[in-house]
Amino acid sequence: MFSGLADFAHAWVGFMNPTSIALGLGGALLGIVVGILPGLSATLVIALLTTITIKLPANDAILVLICSYVGALYGGSRTAILLNIPGTAANAASCADGYALAQRGEAGRAIGIATSGAFTGTLFGVLCLAAFTPSLAEVALAFGAYEFFWLALFGVAMSGSIVGDDPVKGWLMGALGLFVAQIGQEGLYAYDRFTFGWDQIAGGIGLIPALVGAFGLAEILTNLADPLEKKLVEVKDSVLPRFREVFQYWRTVLRSGVIGVLTGLLPGVGEDSGAWMSYAAAKATSKEKHLFGKGSIDGLMAAETGDMSSIPGHIIPCLALGIPGSAPSAVLMAAMIIHGIQPGPMMMIQHPHFVYEVVAMTSLATITILIFGLFLVRPLLVVLRIRRTVLMPVILLLCTVGAFATASRLFDVYAMLVIGIGAFFLRRRGYQMAPFVLGLVLGPLLDKSLRRGLVLSDGSITPFFTRPISLAFAVVTIFAILLYVPAFKAAVRRVTGGAGAAARSLVRRRT
Amino acid sequence: MTTTAERHADGDPPSPAELQAQAAGDLRDALGWLALGVAVLVGSIRMDRLEAQHINPYTVPGLLPGLLGLVMILLGVLLGLRSWNRGARLVGGPHFAIDWRSMRRLAVVISLILIYTVALLGRGLPFWLVSALYVIASIVLLQAPQRALAGRSLGWRDFAFAAAVGLGSGVVIQYVFQNLFLVRLP
Repeated sequence: MFSGLADFAHAWVGFMNPTSIALGLGGALLGIVVGILPGLSATLVIALLTTITIKLPANDAILVLICSYVGALYGGSRTAILLNIPGTAANAASCADGYALAQRGEAGRAIGIATSGAFTGTLFGVLCLAAFTPSLAEVALAFGAYEFFWLALFGVAMSGSIVGDDPVKGWLMGALGLFVAQIGQEGLYAYDRFTFGWDQIAGGIGLIPALVGAFGLAEILTNLADPLEKKLVEVKDSVLPRFREVFQYWRTVLRSGVIGVLTGLLPGVGEDSGAWMSYAAAKATSKEKHLFGKGSIDGLMAAETGDMSSIPGHIIPCLALGIPGSAPSAVLMAAMIIHGIQPGPMMMIQHPHFVYEVVAMTSLATITILIFGLFLVRPLLVVLRIRRTVLMPVILLLCTVGAFATASRLFDVYAMLVIGIGAFFLRRRGYQMAPFVLGLVLGPLLDKSLRRGLVLSDGSITPFFTRPISLAFAVVTIFAILLYVPAFKAAVRRVTGGAGAAARSLVRRRT
Repeated sequence: MTTTAERHADGDPPSPAELQAQAAGDLRDALGWLALGVAVLVGSIRMDRLEAQHINPYTVPGLLPGLLGLVMILLGVLLGLRSWNRGARLVGGPHFAIDWRSMRRLAVVISLILIYTVALLGRGLPFWLVSALYVIASIVLLQAPQRALAGRSLGWRDFAFAAAVGLGSGVVIQYVFQNLFLVRLP
């Protein structure tokens, strides 16, 4: 434990130089600006910054990306409060109460609460990141091909189930992502799959161009095809962070922090789930239920703490298992690989200090949002006044450079175009992009794990279901999928309802 | 143009006709997924099994893609059956007026992006110039209809503003990426 603390202190000292501080602040600022702009997501800003920071030293590059990740989710709450439009998907739960407070002339107070909730939530998540990542990585050392097969499948299945309101469409997008990941040379024999003799595609579809297309170009098309300009609520009162409310609602803050980290740990479940689940839990336990949706401080605090604490939560499985918790952490993981750090169980052996460097980076990012929350709330809102027809073409230039820069080939720009235009039409039909991205990231792992597992067992699928951890993952994955079959769901309800009634009658008899 | 899902998200529940139209769309999607699933499955079955290399038969390259093809077929059938049960049919059903203004706008946006990325980028012209041309054209062509709706036309100030934004963004992006961050540009 003490060696961990020493590593953490060493990492902190390492970042205490003007260059790293400037890069961290710059990353957070860009993240906040992108987060403020509705539709432009944390995934997009991390993907774009990955290309900019490609020539920087690994630690500085990852610092910029983590600061932008935290900044984007924090910035998104501004738009939720002032425009009633979530800046990023994770801020949707903040809309109802934040906007209601703003309409009452308390926009500054709402922003202050969001800042303090975001700060406290991220800090709580950082503590969990430091405490649990090394232990989880140690457990994961026992994982083999069978466990990784189920883990990858679990991530895609969960993402398909939870993101959006139609699991069938979510799973279809997950399957599509897994399929797209199979295009190009496969990992065992370097055989070209679905390339049709086209050399350019043999390297596969790059993750960064695909993400820039799915989250950048698709959003540009959405904005330009339907340029709604909504009126911004004026901020008249003080925007200073409200830590008094953090103490007043400490139960909500703690509960939401735990929920955020736990949802973050689940592969494929995005930051928005952390916010919504925290919001629902706060509503269920609050004494002021009637205020929820009408300007509840409790509700806003829960939503902001829940989504921000899920960021370090998402980084935990990313570092310890090599399985990203959400789309932004998938890009973060890709960036780590680009910079020569392979996340996964072996990371604690190959790069033992890196986990504490990430902890230091995330805690630095937390401080940067507090600084910007104190000083730059009002000036940053100027970006919301820029017309979409002016801003979006400029964003497209950045997307084009972002798609091109990782491999310096025009094919990646065309891949971004195809995926972006496809994603735009699919989103209109109710298909979500997060399962597609998770499929794209986890596809190679699923393929290798399946084939390696079958070789080890000489073609038998039994070990996929008999090894203890493997069995647990299999049961959870299959259960999560079957829960969407009406007959199975009804049977589960009957069983849980019956068990609940039995437990209640038992308690009554004893009292 | 707002989609049914967006109106629903705003608290405006979809009408029965909208739900039926949505189900009809899902039925068409299901056919698309089925076709893709069958294509992937056939492609996987016909994929080289590398017998000449004497590889372990459980590691053939087409194994996972084939399974994914099957999953797409299964989920496609599920989506199709669900939409059929909701009253979806391929012909007939409710029709909604197409928002031609929004469609025209979308066509302009996509055409400009395709001209920029496919026809101009990487064809010998400098990045800043191509990018400036794209941004200027986009701002002018997309703002003109908005101004026309407000009963005004674009003046020289609008053109000057578009030119300043286009040239400024093209030059700044080229300088920042190429000179400061040493990133290659198309």
